[in-house]
Parts: sequence; C-alpha cells; structure tokens
Amino acid sequence: MSWTGRLQCTASFRNGRTVILDSYNEGALKLMRPVYLDPAHPTLYLVHVGGGYVDGDRYEINMKLEPHARLMMTTQAATKVYKTPHAPVWQYTQFSLGDESVLEYFPDPLIAYEQARFIQETVVYITNRSTFMYGEIITPGWAESGQLFRYDWIRSKLKVYQDEVLVLFDHLYLDSRQHLTSMLQLGGYTHVGSFVALSPFITKEVLEQFNQFMEEMPQEVRCGFSAAAVPGFSVRILAYETSVIEAIFQRVQQFIRQQCGEKAPVCWRKY
Amino acid sequence: MTDQQLLWLLQLSDSNFPSGAFSHSFGFETYMYNEQICDAKTFREALVVYIQTQLTYTDGLACRIAYEQLEANSMEGLQRLNETLFALCLAKETREGTRMIGERLWKLCRHIYSVDELDEIVQTKQSIHPAIVFAAVGRKIEASKRTTVLTYLFTAVQTMVQNAVRGIPLGQTDGQKLLVMVQPYLIHAASIIEALDEEELGTAAVGLEIAQMQHERLPVRLFMS
Repeated sequence: MSWTGRLQCTASFRNGRTVILDSYNEGALKLMRPVYLDPAHPTLYLVHVGGGYVDGDRYEINMKLEPHARLMMTTQAATKVYKTPHAPVWQYTQFSLGDESVLEYFPDPLIAYEQARFIQETVVYITNRSTFMYGEIITPGWAESGQLFRYDWIRSKLKVYQDEVLVLFDHLYLDSRQHLTSMLQLGGYTHVGSFVALSPFITKEVLEQFNQFMEEMPQEVRCGFSAAAVPGFSVRILAYETSVIEAIFQRVQQFIRQQCGEKAPVCWRKY
Repeated sequence: MTDQQLLWLLQLSDSNFPSGAFSHSFGFETYMYNEQICDAKTFREALVVYIQTQLTYTDGLACRIAYEQLEANSMEGLQRLNETLFALCLAKETREGTRMIGERLWKLCRHIYSVDELDEIVQTKQSIHPAIVFAAVGRKIEASKRTTVLTYLFTAVQTMVQNAVRGIPLGQTDGQKLLVMVQPYLIHAASIIEALDEEELGTAAVGLEIAQMQHERLPVRLFMS
C-alpha cells in the first residue's frame, strides 16, 4: 500500500522527562522538533508539507506512549481537504497509551471544501490508568458560490479500547446531501466540535464539579456533555465559528489539567 | 408468513409490550422542552429524520447484523456487536435506558419465545442491546430477516409516536395518522438497511445526540431519557 504521508513515533519516560524515540516519517507528514513548553514533557506539532489533502490521499499516524510518558500534540495549521473526484481522502490514526501516560491531542480544525470526501478513523488504546484528551473541530470550507456545506461528506470514527474492550465509539457522518440542516443533525449550525476526555482522575466528584463548570456556556452554541461508560466524559458542540469551540475546548482542557495536578494553562504558541 | 408467526409479531410489536421503552424519549423530550417539537408537523419532520438516521444506521442495521450472526451462530460476532452498540451511546441516559430496555426485553422473550441463545452474552456483559434480542426472537419464530428488521423499526417508531401523543401532546388520531404516514419511510429504510455496509453502523445524528445529553439536566421531565 502506498501512503501520501506516514508518521510514527514512541514517547518514552526517562529520568523524569518524556523523550521522543524512533521518530519516523515518510511523504507529506512530518513532525517538527519537539517543543518543551513544559520543561518535562514535549509538545509535538504535526506538519503537512503540501497545501492540503487532495483526491485519493492516504495518511497514517501511529504513536505510542510508554508508561508515564506525557505529551501534547497539535497540528501546525488547519487540515484542508479539497475536492476528491475519484477517491476519498483516508486518514488512519492510532494511539497506544501505557499506564499513567497522558496524551492531549488537539489538532486544528478540519476544513472540508467543495466536493470533498474524507474518511478518518482514530483508534486509541488506553488502560484504566492512562489519560486521553482529544478535541476535534469540523468546519465547512468556503465555496465559490458562497453556499455552505459544499463538501460531499465526512466520516469520522473515534474508537477507544480500554484493556481490549471497546468503551467509546464516536461515529460522525456529515453528508451535505442528506438532511444535514435538520434539528436532529446540525440544525442551522455549521461547525461541529467533539471533545473526549477519559482519565482515572475524572471521578464522580470531578464530574459533579464539571456539571457546574459547564453551566456557563456562550449563548451562540448548542452544547451537550455526558459521562462515558468508563471514567471520563464526552462533549459535543454546535456553533457558527471555530474560535467559539476552541475557547470551550481550552476551558475544558484546563479544567481537566487542574484535576490531574497540572496548574499551568496551555498555550500552544502557534501564531 | 404463517398465522402463528403473524400472531407472535403482533404481540412483540404491541405498544403495551412491557419492554419499558415507553419511559424513554431518546432525546426527543429536550426538543419538546425547547418547543422545537410542539405539534404534529414539527414532530413528523423530526420523526422522518430519526428513521433516516438513528433507526436506519444504528438500530435497524444492528438488528440485521445480529440476525446474520445468529444465522452463522457467531457468538463472538454478537458479543462484539453488543459491545459496539453500547460504546456508541455517548449520552449516559440513553446508554442506561437502552440497557434497561434490553434487559427487560430479554427476560420477557426468554419466557415467551424461549430465546436462550443470548444467555452467555447477558451473563458476561450484564447488558444486551434490544436490537439483538429482537433479532433473536425473529430467528426463533423463523420470521425472515427483512420482516424482523421491519417489525423492529415499526415497534421503535410506534413507541416514539405514543410518547409524542403523551409528551407534546398530540391527539390519538394524529398519532395513528403519523403511523400511516411513516410506512413508506419504514419500507424504504428496510431496503436501505439490507444494502448497508457494516462499517456504516452507528453514524450519529449530532443534534439528537446533544439533545440526549442535555436531557440529563432538564428541569422538568416526563421521560427517563
């Protein structure tokens, strides 16, 4: 099988800090040199060296966190999917989290342009002692006609296995040709945000605090959140713009970091 | 279909069949609370999309896959399907509600139809999805796959309509008219389900999912989900 871009690496915890080992990449996907925003744990920036994803592209990302490793990962810019006349773009991502490892993954928004078809499958293996945080934003790209939702469809699957059992499966399918504007779907909104946090630190008491924490929500969004089957929760947001969702994500991420004993706020220092 | 099969299916799809489904709105109550569903017209629109999304891609497709796995006698496949169906419920109330309905349906069907194929799953997993129980009954009474799926779709819609009659509220006649109105949609859904790829299982209706999550915090509630 040929790949447009491929990336893999292992994060290992040694002498009190997380280091990146066995980093490997080919094609259009690259990792920038790890940045230590936190002196002990790296932040990784994923880079797409082309202008965006086009017809038939295939990408694979494979990351392993050894026990106690901790890292944050984001992208350098939004993921843009352009039209795919012959074959959809396909992206497969796998994360394996060892005991007491922490992964915070917040890619920039996915922007799907006119006639784009995109499939992504993200599979995450956690243990009952690892912490996983993931926020994703899907937005419609600008179209020449000025109309929204000119992409064909986007399929996004997130599967989380805890000790070999599938504990969370978020399957989004946004098809511009099928009742996307119904109130059961986007109901007039344009942007979809999904946030998942699974962690042994998210106890029943923390969930109760989280309920109160989420009471203050901007008027211009529709937002739901609920406890997962294992310690943790998911949040779903509908909005009109990316920045509103990003602001909520940051607040939620901050809330969880405080529960995990990390006081420092996150600043991705991108722009 | 034999007379006996017809009678079995009539009993199973009766809105008084005590599966407990009548206590759950699966997120619709949030729309009623927000007055986005407030009369026959607004409910009808939502119900059609519900059939085309949730019922087709999750419940209906799950019932078809379960039927096929029972035919193939694949306990492993059924276990995996059951696990997947619960993992797909991001809203806690919907997950719990589905578990309760599944359990009651299983207990009833075990007595009534002597369905015992699922005992192993229930014992190891402590929960069983109603779509799987329904498929097992369909197999037991030797109803065809399509008939089983269509009956399941009808049963689900009938519960939603009965709940709307109580919740919105609507007139009983309006409710019955809606059940006639949805017929072509249900038949169409049954055909779509036959051709779906298993990879399409569980595509969420995003807004409905948010409504299911928000239901937990509604100040006034008639339904458990």
